Amino acid sequence: MPQLHDVDYTLEYPYTRTTGPVIGPFLTGLRDGRILGQRCGEQVLCPPMEFDPDSFATLEPDLVEVGPGGEVVNWTWVAEPSAKHPFDRPFGFAFIKLDGADTALVHAVDTGGDAGAMSTGMRVQAQFRDERHGSIADVYFVPEADAAEQVIGQGDEPVTITEHLIGLRIAEPLYPHRARFAQGLLDGKIIGQRSPVTGKVYVPGRGYDNMSRVLMSEADEVEVSDVGTVVAFTELNPVQYYGQTETEPYVRCSILFDGTDQPVIGIDIRDMTVDEMRVGMRMRCIWRDPEERSVEDIDNRYGNIPETVYARFEPTGEPDVPADELKEHSW
Amino acid sequence: MVSLAEDVAIVAFEQTPSYAHFNDSEPAMIMPCVNSVIEQVGMDRHDIDFTIAGSCDYLSGMPFAFVMNIDAVGAWPPVYESHVEMDGAWALFEGFVRLQSGDIDTVLVSGSGKCSPGSYREGFSLQSDPYVHAPIGLDPRTQAGFQAQALIAAGKATEQDFAEVVARSHANAKNNPYAQLSGDLSVDGLLAEPYVQQPLRSHDCPPTSDGAAAMIIARADKARELCDNPVWIRGIDHRIDSHHPTLRDLTDSPSVRIAAERVGLHDGPVDIAELTVTYSPEEIILRDALGLNGGTSVNPSGGPLTGSPFMAVGLTRVIELARGIRNGDGRRGVAHASSGPALQQNLLCVLEGDS
Repeated sequence: MPQLHDVDYTLEYPYTRTTGPVIGPFLTGLRDGRILGQRCGEQVLCPPMEFDPDSFATLEPDLVEVGPGGEVVNWTWVAEPSAKHPFDRPFGFAFIKLDGADTALVHAVDTGGDAGAMSTGMRVQAQFRDERHGSIADVYFVPEADAAEQVIGQGDEPVTITEHLIGLRIAEPLYPHRARFAQGLLDGKIIGQRSPVTGKVYVPGRGYDNMSRVLMSEADEVEVSDVGTVVAFTELNPVQYYGQTETEPYVRCSILFDGTDQPVIGIDIRDMTVDEMRVGMRMRCIWRDPEERSVEDIDNRYGNIPETVYARFEPTGEPDVPADELKEHSW
Repeated sequence: MVSLAEDVAIVAFEQTPSYAHFNDSEPAMIMPCVNSVIEQVGMDRHDIDFTIAGSCDYLSGMPFAFVMNIDAVGAWPPVYESHVEMDGAWALFEGFVRLQSGDIDTVLVSGSGKCSPGSYREGFSLQSDPYVHAPIGLDPRTQAGFQAQALIAAGKATEQDFAEVVARSHANAKNNPYAQLSGDLSVDGLLAEPYVQQPLRSHDCPPTSDGAAAMIIARADKARELCDNPVWIRGIDHRIDSHHPTLRDLTDSPSVRIAAERVGLHDGPVDIAELTVTYSPEEIILRDALGLNGGTSVNPSGGPLTGSPFMAVGLTRVIELARGIRNGDGRRGVAHASSGPALQQNLLCVLEGDS
């Protein structure tokens, strides 16, 4: 039989940023195997900046090559790298003052996992990765004695956009009330929570009544009907944003189940067109066979009644409920 | 010190324990705090003029998660409401500034965060520079490691000093029912532990925590009407250092020094200091920049090393200080909140008891 599972997903946002007149050439340089600093009076700033960090005056782009060698002026050892770090084995992060620069760049030093190799004053040298994208991650550093000779040709167009995919993993158990709701769906039941203050029934329960600001528990839970009334619907024409899995238009509706006070939103309808939908239409849930139900898409934040538990919703044929009686629930 | 248009006082406060894992939603965590502060002053929810919260969607793991949190503060019928993507201490700052306009009397402030479902190291690396830092995952613990190393290199502190901060914090937390960690630790034993971020050990870093805090602040006349023992906000200020750690002296905090001047910290005695010491070396920097001497009790609650629900932890410092003043442990003190890595942003709030 299908079972409940812990929540484990990765929240991702693909960020693209324009690079501007100073960072653009800097990232272009990294792609092409060179590190550039920005002149600021008598000094050279690396990482380069568009402004004088002391006076905040704008600097005209004036880039000059620095490195590839440099000196460690501060460091710390990462015993347990995170998923976002440049190496998956222990490494050093260091402030590196590159030859020809007056400020320090923060970057990773790979000593083969040996913390004892790190020290203030140590000499390091840049190494460029085989695959470069015009990113600060195109480069890393090693002790000078370990550096390999690299010959890197110039790339094509200047880097004007940089891409950064942010991914944050979220892993936790289902909250107790979410677990009971999800188990209900596997059992072919819709579980709601009845407010001990107002008597209103919310589906799915959130563990509290937000109108009366009171927490709710298993004692407040009730099984509700799987027959209800459409209170809102729309046709979704899927925009192809990052992470979109839908390609064809489909109907999404909200259903107010009998005996409840809050519609379940986000119920997807695949076998009816938007023209066949009506506010006030009576619908019933036709569940999937028990062994075919899944609540994998239910986490603690998203997921009400997912398509993975029902085969379809079908009109009951009863007379429509007048829309005027539903206006408190049209969401 | 800047003169204030309106005197403002804290009239009620509440916090959750610092949980290693709170197995329910963020609103469910906040709601009891909000209900408690409303009950303390005996107000009707809808008579509170302004509501403001601090939280972080990256921690919550959902876009617009802060909107869901409004469930906990009661948003229907509609309320006048705002949010900062910062610790609740910055929500307090905005609430305080809002009261300076003189047209409203009361503000409900909250802060909340659940660190346990995700990785704060990965999430908060996104606060760093998006071109030269975030793509290599430059996380706050690494930046704290740089700060610790800089202190040692400058001869301003030793690893033993860091361990002593930890031992004192855990010992203080024995009297704090909200603390997540507490106990008697030996400095020698701490120094025998392995590094996680050399020169930092696990205990030099904050525990993973979930938690929430809330308070009500009010203009003077209303404050006296609502409670017998208002705690007055005598000054509040927020200052920032460069987000490039290589462009500042990591062994000092110019922003704290400026803020301390602006809030008139030493215009009176500083009996208690509740500081956002997220990493143990930060206490050494803060004591120095605040000019604290032996007359000040520092982090009698145990501080963030014993419970660190990000986005609530700074507001909790203000609450711990207010509680200390109400309990008579001191008459005047300072609460400190921090944002960004390695004490990059600092907020100071001076509180004083009713006199």
